[in-house]
Amino acid sequence: MSLVSTGFLVFLLVGVIVYYLIPKKAQWAWLLILSYAYYLCSGYKTIIFMILTTCVTYSAGRLLQYSEEKLDNNLKQEDLSREDKKAFKEKNKAFKKKIVLAALLLVFGILAVIKYYNFAIENINSIIKAFGGNGRISALKLLLPLGISFYSFQSISYVIDVYRGKVKACSNIFKYALFVSYFPQITQGPIGRYDRLAPQFFEEHKYDLVVIQHGLQRMAWGLFKKFIIADRAGVVANLVFNNPGQYHGIYVIIGVLGYCAQLYGDFAGGIDMVMGASEMFGIQLDDNFRQPFFSHSIGEFWRRWHITLGTWMKDYVFYPFSLSKAMNKLGKFFKKHSKTRFGKYMAKALPICLADLLIFFIVGVWHGAAWKYIVYGMYNGIIMSFSSIMAPVYEKMFKITHINKNARWYRAWQIVRTFILVNISWYFDDAATLTDAFRLMGNTFKHAAFSMDAVIKMFGSEVDLIIVLAGCVVWLIISILKEKGIAIRASLDKKPLIIRWAVYILLVMSVATVGYISSTSGGFMYAQF
Amino acid sequence: MDQLLDILNEINSDVDYEICDTLIDDGIFSSFDIVSLVGELNDAFDIDITPVDIVPENFNSAEAMWEMIQRLQD
Repeated sequence: MSLVSTGFLVFLLVGVIVYYLIPKKAQWAWLLILSYAYYLCSGYKTIIFMILTTCVTYSAGRLLQYSEEKLDNNLKQEDLSREDKKAFKEKNKAFKKKIVLAALLLVFGILAVIKYYNFAIENINSIIKAFGGNGRISALKLLLPLGISFYSFQSISYVIDVYRGKVKACSNIFKYALFVSYFPQITQGPIGRYDRLAPQFFEEHKYDLVVIQHGLQRMAWGLFKKFIIADRAGVVANLVFNNPGQYHGIYVIIGVLGYCAQLYGDFAGGIDMVMGASEMFGIQLDDNFRQPFFSHSIGEFWRRWHITLGTWMKDYVFYPFSLSKAMNKLGKFFKKHSKTRFGKYMAKALPICLADLLIFFIVGVWHGAAWKYIVYGMYNGIIMSFSSIMAPVYEKMFKITHINKNARWYRAWQIVRTFILVNISWYFDDAATLTDAFRLMGNTFKHAAFSMDAVIKMFGSEVDLIIVLAGCVVWLIISILKEKGIAIRASLDKKPLIIRWAVYILLVMSVATVGYISSTSGGFMYAQF
Repeated sequence: MDQLLDILNEINSDVDYEICDTLIDDGIFSSFDIVSLVGELNDAFDIDITPVDIVPENFNSAEAMWEMIQRLQD
């Protein structure tokens, strides 16, 4: 059931009405029923995987909690020596590590087999063929469960948080099942955290018109991004990326920019729909975007784009890896053997660079089972690592050239530079294969005479081109206001009724009248993860 | 505390650590700075800062860091 289908809107409407009519204590149970009903309507054949993940991570949480409570009881015993206490703690730590490892293997094992088995087999077959072998391992016909990447990452974050003592394990499996399956976010995130989501699920929510209004506003804004900008810009992107040999020079650049608008509009629009739907139940999800195209570096871009994936990686991969004993030893080894100041700096930077490369390798793999996604991830990781290594060199250059890095022109240049670097990464993201991505890159530098008629033809019509551009301008203005700290919806609430309704009607009417509807409209790009 | 301030000044000398209490919230310290800082603090104070301890509340100010160090030393 797509978020932009009539079926979903009716489902949501009924869901919200019943939610506020039933006793407050039963609200979370109603959300669980809605979530499982939504999943059954969208992909009932694979629901078993979500149930399995729920059971595995719930049990892991309970066992971790049990182990911690047992330790507390053991430590309360009288006449315990320091060594005894240490032994109890070590035993508890070892047991807890085994539990986390088992949960990781099971949850990510399911994800790996379903999502990456065929990719691995494809590569193994290529190797067999390259060495002259005749054997061939058969691929499996596997259905990708809806939202598997999102709920797997979300439930693993819960297990690690319980392991770290950040949250207490949930004692009610049905309550926990809601955390894993919560329907607005199941298809494309944001990846939630138990400590922020669970309390909201289980508190009582009173009907509040403003809450409903805010939810609807956000959903309408999401529809605007999706139908006015993304789907229309997608026409140009598909044209160029599906025919990599046909377009050159400026037309490839238009295709890449079209993909940029399509991806951002689709993903951010989808997230607005998700967050708006959730807001109507009084549940605030974590933000996933914060004006990413105002970033001054790739590092900052990833702190503003798909934020919940970035923070997941930071909390559960980056810090554990860069602060691990192995990385500590590596850093100390280089520090000991480095004689120059740069060498000593490198000793500090090396664990961080390796952690960045690891993170972006995972981010690439997370996006899909294809080499192009791995290159997409590594491209970002290499830029991040290179920036870290070169930081002292840049500082030296600033001193020599007397460039003020806080000057407005320099800050603007950083934004433009980041925008270009991000758009280069889209070649890998959207091309069908890695070969196509490089072919398109090569074609970008081939001359093609500019013709406005050709551009209009790519968009379908002059009207389509104008609508996309106008939509982008509106979005840019809103983004600038948000960047300046203006809370758009809160300021709209203070405006007179007539202005508020004029804005609502304009927004809805614009989607209804100039929204792009085609046979391919309706689906969201990130729903395939 | 003086030793901590020396370490912090080596990481970034443009900050007034006596006043600033938004080192993480305002993005003054990047993850690069945090990892470097953790290594220095572990060595200097013979503590073991783990990923669990890396939360804004522990790193937003020199004062908060000092409290965390004392807690981990106990």
